[in-house]
Amino acid sequence: MLRITGGRVYDPANGVDGQIRDVCIADGRIAAAVGDGARTLDASGMVIFPGGVDVHTHVAGGAINFARAMTPEDHRRTVAFIRTQTQRSGLGGMAPTTFATGYLYAGMGWTTLNEAAVPILSAKHTHEELRDVPIVDKSCCVLMANNEIVLDLLENGELERAKQVVAWQIWASKAYGVKAVNPGGVAAWKWGKDAKQLSETVEGYRKLTPGTIITGLAQIIDELGLPHPLHLHCNNLGAPGNYTTTLESMKSLEGHRAHLAHLQYHAYGGDDWNTMRSETEAIADYFNAHSNLTADAGAVLFGNTVTITADGPWQHLLYKLTGRKWGNLDVENETGCGIVPYTYRPSNIVNAVQWASGLELLLMIKDPWRVSLSTDHPNGACFWRYPEILQLLMSADFRRDCMAKMSEEAKRRIRLPELDREYSLFEIAIITSAGPARALGLSNKGHLGIGADADIAVYNQDQDISRMFSHPRYVIKHGEIVIEEGEIRATPLGRSYVIKPQYESTIEEYLRPLFEDCYTMQFENYPVELERVEHAELRNCIPAE
Amino acid sequence: MRNRADLVIYWGGNPAECHPRHFTKYALMPKGKHLPRGRKDRTMVLVDIRETKSVKAADIFLQIRPGRDFEVLTILRAIVKGQYVNPAMVAETGLTIEQLRDLVDRMKRARFGVMFFGMGLSMTRGKHMNSSAILTLAAELNAYTKFVAMPMRGHGNVTGADVIMRWTTGYPFGISFDRGYPRFNPGEFSTVDLLVRGDTDAALILGADPGATMPQPAIDHLARIPTIVLDPKVTHTSRLARVHITTAVTGISAPGTGYRMDEVPLPLRPALKSPYPTDEEVVRRIHELVRVKPDWLVHQPRTTQQVF
Repeated sequence: MLRITGGRVYDPANGVDGQIRDVCIADGRIAAAVGDGARTLDASGMVIFPGGVDVHTHVAGGAINFARAMTPEDHRRTVAFIRTQTQRSGLGGMAPTTFATGYLYAGMGWTTLNEAAVPILSAKHTHEELRDVPIVDKSCCVLMANNEIVLDLLENGELERAKQVVAWQIWASKAYGVKAVNPGGVAAWKWGKDAKQLSETVEGYRKLTPGTIITGLAQIIDELGLPHPLHLHCNNLGAPGNYTTTLESMKSLEGHRAHLAHLQYHAYGGDDWNTMRSETEAIADYFNAHSNLTADAGAVLFGNTVTITADGPWQHLLYKLTGRKWGNLDVENETGCGIVPYTYRPSNIVNAVQWASGLELLLMIKDPWRVSLSTDHPNGACFWRYPEILQLLMSADFRRDCMAKMSEEAKRRIRLPELDREYSLFEIAIITSAGPARALGLSNKGHLGIGADADIAVYNQDQDISRMFSHPRYVIKHGEIVIEEGEIRATPLGRSYVIKPQYESTIEEYLRPLFEDCYTMQFENYPVELERVEHAELRNCIPAE
Repeated sequence: MRNRADLVIYWGGNPAECHPRHFTKYALMPKGKHLPRGRKDRTMVLVDIRETKSVKAADIFLQIRPGRDFEVLTILRAIVKGQYVNPAMVAETGLTIEQLRDLVDRMKRARFGVMFFGMGLSMTRGKHMNSSAILTLAAELNAYTKFVAMPMRGHGNVTGADVIMRWTTGYPFGISFDRGYPRFNPGEFSTVDLLVRGDTDAALILGADPGATMPQPAIDHLARIPTIVLDPKVTHTSRLARVHITTAVTGISAPGTGYRMDEVPLPLRPALKSPYPTDEEVVRRIHELVRVKPDWLVHQPRTTQQVF
């Protein structure tokens, strides 16, 4: 039992905007009151946030693990976590090790994360890694839009059967949601091709287009009633002029729910790298007018990182552009991925446009409930740099200082200099916690109402926003103090959220022969057993009628 | 691979004897979605320094001079890019320029090419430079067609160990924890070098038989120090160890996860019961006993640990 007194509480889901009030905790949940024997934390001069929720990150699985292997030079220069009696050793940096990932997230007040890309074939690997990410609660999205069995069904218009297969595959991978990456494009990449336009036929198919994949999956997910809508990484990521593809994708989603991942990478104008410019206004205008959509920013910060994405063709392009290391993984029949280390530089006009676009989207999208903070970790920047973005959002002067270093040419291609909006702490609490929790459909997260999970971050009020959010005074996870003044006090294991959608058991009879035809493993070995997911917690679907 | 690879190249490996299921289950024989006639739709090229049993399965066998892998790979990269090749250099490789041109031609014409490379490439003269060269060749071929390269790993669940070390420490092998956090330096911290230099004063051997494969000075050192072996059977290493603990066979009488060479995890389900404990149980019990001892890190001066 715990009582936190005297702090300014920011709890947007319950309309609390900086009022000073007590927060009581009993049995790991927020309670109306606690007895006199409860420990009391004096939070005078501090602000209290619901624990942060990351709707889109890559922290576990084959791809990030490949990135770890590819970047020993970064491990050498990074923060080392030294083993103590409460904490395991590990390394921070561009691709932190699993234990360090948990400590770093909790260390800035984030307590829930969503691993955004899991191939079914290696879902066992992802869950084994997630088990080794301590403190935070976890969920994951399974990759679907290049799965050949699903694509064949969509090609033949067998939507009902596709729905059964999708439901079966979500349960087989013990996932929480469905992610679509470059629909059709990764399948085409297995022939060295891409799918850039929504209405173009996908290589290797007769009539299937990325557009039909997107609407098909969005409809299936709505009918299954998953708490998190289709998690879409649009086609044509990162390319100049791709905003038209993004607008088309958004239009094809009318009438369905969808979450657009790392929107910044999909908001460019221009015809080539020399003329590339920000087109965030067109994207934000459409987005503002359509409440069926949510998004995360995918913001970029200058500095070193390693880019990893299931978007194989894009990564090959990036390798050719940079001449740096390139790793490629194809996962049979399901997906692929590429890994390239990258440095974003303010002197590079393309990078400057990317940096500005992420911030522009966060500032131009009017409803903070529908846009979440993300960097598409590790692609745009590492997640432990979120406090720097918060500072940029909260201070127009600080943004101007940063832009002063950029070239005039770069400034002509962005809209950021015109934007004066500054985020309030209330809005920050929305984009870092309440909003993403709502987008994920996690009703027990992202707020401090009675009965909610007692995941709380307590920050010292500070003029230096970046310092304030980098070093919380206390972090409480499920009622337990895990971080206290920069020290890790406890490292409990988090829970894993898993969905079991309804499907007809006969679908296995349909899948088995197809599977044995094109995979190289036994059908029985394909699904992840529930016992292999540590602290699994099943969440419900509410199927549409 | 199974559904797409129409050009399969094995380099410095002998899968017929070392990975006997690789041809039939994985890369060569299976009929695939886009290769309906299976083996007939694929071309197999074998590159090695001597004729092995795998030659019989190959359409083209390229016998190169021992230790010339790096040169051959570099010449291939030059031909791929249409650059000048010195005939004297070609002559040293044991192959003709026609053979090399033909190979590049096939590589570029393939719809999906794959190169598997074994320890004949990665552990001979040039070592990691050879691996780097073949990976670069594969990367550069992607300017023309789809091409991938993949290592053929050694015995046991070596890929699994590699994968788990990476997610817990950031590095695949050759890791030192002596400062309380992981550091990586192959050649300094890799097992064989530690043993040859005599830097270790105890050894715990799990799922390996260094007594059969490592150089003599390393084996001599293992015999000198307290060595503990966990293995289902008596190995060369157990004969020179102080302690041998018999454990259940993973996959037959103990459960677990095996990682395939392409890092796809497979669940291992035991078919039999064993009277012996699993490796995991033995390590856990040793760990529990070690845990109650005082933490040596607490007694170290902190400053030496914060070098970076």
